[in-house]
Amino acid sequence: MTVSAIEFSRLGPPKLRLYAMRCGACGTLQPWWEHHHCYACGGSDLSEEELAGGGVLTNYTVVYYPPRDFLGQEPYVVGHITMDEGVLMPAPVVGVAPDDVEVGTRVRSTLRRMKLGHEGDIYYSQKFVVDDERTPTPGPAEG
Amino acid sequence: MGEIIRYGAYLPRYRAPLGEIQRFYGRPGRPRAKALCTPALDEDPLTMAYEAAAAALEGAEAPGALIAVSQSPPFGLRKLSATLARALGLPEVVPLDVGGHPGAALDALALAGALTAGGSPPALVVASDHLVSHDERVADTLSAGGAAAFLVGGSGGFARLGPSARASREVYDVWRLGTEPEPRYRLEVLFDAYGSTSAEALAALEAATERPTSAYAAVCASQPHPQALRALGRAGVGAEQLEGTSFVGEIGNLGAASVGLALALGLDRASPGDHLLALGYGAGEAIAQDVEVTAEPPAIAAAAQIAGEAIDLSTYYRWTRGRQAEPH
Amino acid sequence: MRVGVLGIGKTPHKIQHGKSLRDLVVEAGRGALADAGVEPADIQALYVGNVGSVGFNYENSTGLMSAHHLGVVPAGAVRVEAACGTGAWALHLGCVAILSGLYDTVMVLGAEKMNDLATVEGTSIIAQAADSKEEYFSGLTFPSGVALTARKYMQTYNLTEEDLAHTSVKNHHYGARNPYAHLRFECTVEEVMRSAKVADPLKLYEVCPMTDAGSALVLCREEILRDQPDKPQVYVTATQMATGTWYAASDTLADAHALLAAPAQRAYEMAGVSADDIDVAEIYNSFAIQEPLGVEALGFAEQGEGWKGAADGSTWIDGKVAVNLSGGLLCKGHPLGATGSTQAVDVVEQLRGTAPPDMQRPDAEVGISACRGGPGAVGAIHVYQRLEGGE
Repeated sequence: MTVSAIEFSRLGPPKLRLYAMRCGACGTLQPWWEHHHCYACGGSDLSEEELAGGGVLTNYTVVYYPPRDFLGQEPYVVGHITMDEGVLMPAPVVGVAPDDVEVGTRVRSTLRRMKLGHEGDIYYSQKFVVDDERTPTPGPAEG
Repeated sequence: MGEIIRYGAYLPRYRAPLGEIQRFYGRPGRPRAKALCTPALDEDPLTMAYEAAAAALEGAEAPGALIAVSQSPPFGLRKLSATLARALGLPEVVPLDVGGHPGAALDALALAGALTAGGSPPALVVASDHLVSHDERVADTLSAGGAAAFLVGGSGGFARLGPSARASREVYDVWRLGTEPEPRYRLEVLFDAYGSTSAEALAALEAATERPTSAYAAVCASQPHPQALRALGRAGVGAEQLEGTSFVGEIGNLGAASVGLALALGLDRASPGDHLLALGYGAGEAIAQDVEVTAEPPAIAAAAQIAGEAIDLSTYYRWTRGRQAEPH
Repeated sequence: MRVGVLGIGKTPHKIQHGKSLRDLVVEAGRGALADAGVEPADIQALYVGNVGSVGFNYENSTGLMSAHHLGVVPAGAVRVEAACGTGAWALHLGCVAILSGLYDTVMVLGAEKMNDLATVEGTSIIAQAADSKEEYFSGLTFPSGVALTARKYMQTYNLTEEDLAHTSVKNHHYGARNPYAHLRFECTVEEVMRSAKVADPLKLYEVCPMTDAGSALVLCREEILRDQPDKPQVYVTATQMATGTWYAASDTLADAHALLAAPAQRAYEMAGVSADDIDVAEIYNSFAIQEPLGVEALGFAEQGEGWKGAADGSTWIDGKVAVNLSGGLLCKGHPLGATGSTQAVDVVEQLRGTAPPDMQRPDAEVGISACRGGPGAVGAIHVYQRLEGGE
């Protein structure tokens, strides 16, 4: 997936921090790419809100056949992470074996390279790592 | 001048089998490190710097300046410090890039101490490198990557940056022409140059402080190669002073981040009253920096990151060939 | 509504290095023309469904290219694109063209040539049918995006991967009997479970192959087909389209259900039939989990129970409703732009009684095709009926 220099400049600087979009009309927080339109209420007044970076893995898959930009990193975990602010973000979860994550694992965002643009620009964005300090350990079995 | 308030370190988790790598490339000799600390494909000196810096800044006062040290920034002609500052959410800091030799993190600490005198906000020093090996180059055998960060302020720290001494000579031990990708070196002068410039800086520091080298609780040194550490022995550094701060034999050469990780390891083990000696050298330079620990360090257990997770030769090849096939 | 299906044509679905995209277009189109007994000059408009020719084949104006090579010039032609629902959209536009009264006879065609590039390139191009700027920028591919839905389904209804594996077993049973299918081998639940992981929890036998194929239909005004009583009297009696969320991240199981259930409800009303009247169904299943979801959305099973029919026989050839007697996309492959039109061709064959005997539902009179596209973005329902003697 390549982007022309024109589109790169239109997209703005690389995504070095984690944002979501807050709807000014209904207050719904949606993943930061919903720039134009609130999916909940149809409103068009959205503004960026920075996220703290912590969340829980509420779904995930493990990719064995990557797209070109991820060649060499497979198998890797891509999760649906419900951020503490309530919004759902898809993102890779790195630094952990696929068998060691499960629904409920706590994760935190960090900076990683995503891909090399064909103009020699580097796309950085957020991936997630397991948040060891805050992943709850299983309690005693019930019953 | 300057006190260390907080610090952080980041080592990528993957360890590549150096013995197999050498056999694959046909390099003779016993492997000089057990493994190479290898950044994953989605890591680079910016992302590693981010990890170390975020750890050092957690719960701390926002810095007024950010000094980045790297011999392998992702971009040339651009400031690593500026992009790092944006990634950390610090748009107001003064971003500075400092470099030129493997011990430049100590230049950065001195600069940070000077910047924060007289009540200015603290300055964050971040050293991050990923040396990417090229075949058949003995000097690159131990190529690895990592990062370390230090928050330096005028007061409120647990360790004081004391006197320092420098040696500098025009010698072609390791260098590179302009922007060419591969370092050049002369084996016959390399370790001698490391050892003699270090000896000169150590002697000068001893003269300035009246504290013999042997009196330091630990020596936290650049370590491009185990042989370089042995050369320090001839300059008056005892083996026990290097014991808790040596890692090149475990994980390889972290370039400009090596002296930073060594200092972090030393601080983790230090007690109030200890003096540590930070020693950065290479490329004809040597800096010896006295660090006096005045309070219990907020230890970060940097040593726990050394073990890591083994990767196989095919993964190492895929990741390093990938980096060499494309600009990085 | 009644739109006559005058002719149908399709190519084999497989890797065809010896054929170009235009070869597939011509083979499918000429097959439909011959079956319809009409000439290219009789076609008054051409709708060509194709998704990725810019990426796969380095050519863009597929509709115009097809018009030239099929010989329908000077009639109007256009390329239709709606992700994996493209072929169904071409069919919808063909129906709308006839129902508008502006056209008497049109051709609907779908074609895709996916195997000129390596898998990794193809995967990246297919990912462009989803949000490749942000969501798929995060390393998702189509298989992994749908894998997330599979895991949600298993968690919600407390199912195992073995429960879902029966869908592949059924599809492969019939794919093995379909001479036009890409994959023609049977398999067991154990073999599905042992097949290589593609995107956890989806395994190789639960994902479709990338295939090269084309398929076409000649549609006409009702009266034109009525006036030829020796031609099979099969009509399209409903066409309903829908969109859903563009992002896998916002696609809940409720959304996935509504994407097909809402247009299906409208289609049943339009055709004057109910779910109970359906004899055969072609339900989009490029990934196995989509068949249970479709079975539920079309009203053949309660939510959470759509997977059972493959296990207990009720969606096999003599079950309550036969689903994917063609072997589904799991065996035919998913030639992106042609899938929707091939589904139509396959249902029409069932209603005509011309499918191979071991995959022919006896006395099929009412059929339905459900196509979908994108992570959850396109829903398309068509109902077909055999209407003898002026019904």
